[in-house]
Amino acid sequence: MIGYTLTPEQKDLIQGQYYAPYQFFNCFKDINDIWFLFLSDQDKPEVEASEYAWVLDLPEAEYIPPPAPPFPPVI
Amino acid sequence: MFNIPSFMGFDKAGFGDPDALAFFARVTAAGGSLTTTEKAAVNTLVITLKANSLWTPMKAIYPMVGASAAACAQNLKSSSFTGTFSSGWTFASTGVESTAANGYMDTQLRASTSLSTSSAQLSVYINTAPNGNQFLAHGTLDGFLQTNGGAIYGSLATSSFSFVSNTDNAAFYMVNRQGASTLKLIKNSSVQLTATTTGTAYTSTQNILLNAYTTTTFINNCRYAFASIGDGLTDTQSGNLYTAVHAFNTTLSRQN
Repeated sequence: MIGYTLTPEQKDLIQGQYYAPYQFFNCFKDINDIWFLFLSDQDKPEVEASEYAWVLDLPEAEYIPPPAPPFPPVI
Repeated sequence: MFNIPSFMGFDKAGFGDPDALAFFARVTAAGGSLTTTEKAAVNTLVITLKANSLWTPMKAIYPMVGASAAACAQNLKSSSFTGTFSSGWTFASTGVESTAANGYMDTQLRASTSLSTSSAQLSVYINTAPNGNQFLAHGTLDGFLQTNGGAIYGSLATSSFSFVSNTDNAAFYMVNRQGASTLKLIKNSSVQLTATTTGTAYTSTQNILLNAYTTTTFINNCRYAFASIGDGLTDTQSGNLYTAVHAFNTTLSRQN
């Protein structure tokens, strides 16, 4: 699975920010503690039209998920 | 008994149930749109829910129509609890699906302030197979609905969660607290488990999330075609809710 990779500073700039009235960015780490962002094909035009269009120019990489947590999950 | 209204209450001029019309207006105001078929299906759903005493117990109903975030975020029951989506979702006539790890919809509904500890329910209708996701949850074990590893898990107002074996497939799932000491896990129209657990409190201060707290391991999420949050239902009501929701999704050619 391919996603956008972000530096911690870039993540801080967008995490939780709205790029459309009902949609916000949600970044998370992969197994190597690298920040990732996934956008659907429907997200991209919305992001491109927002002040966060620069996100679409971020480098992309293969996402490697971390190990599964204990079940049932406790937050 | 499941009541099928003889009067559908919707015509070409746009006449319909007032609550359905209010929902259509919210979708439009949000920048979304619905097809004629979707409007008719929603209108019939509202009338059917009311005819079966299912409207009043609901606090949030997400019919997931309109193929956009603006439309799918809207609560059919009222203008409260309008959802928001994290990045990575796809919105289609068949429902909504997170294509990313950790994708969720925030319902803005908080159990500790909106749900009773003796009467509450969470339900979803999914039309693709689940993958361990928590369908609805608020981050603590006293409020969640999930399938994982061949079981349905659920709890409301107690961290002593209940579970029952299950074939983890596309279906209607519900955790239903019917009273202070009775909690049921339901699949489609059948009660799968009746547990004796005492409802005490909701300890989470977070909102209830759809597709909640999926770990970054669970990438392949299921597709949601309906979700509801509300007061607890009788067995007859929960069976009728399944029938109504399944009929609604059949009308939209997206039944499971």
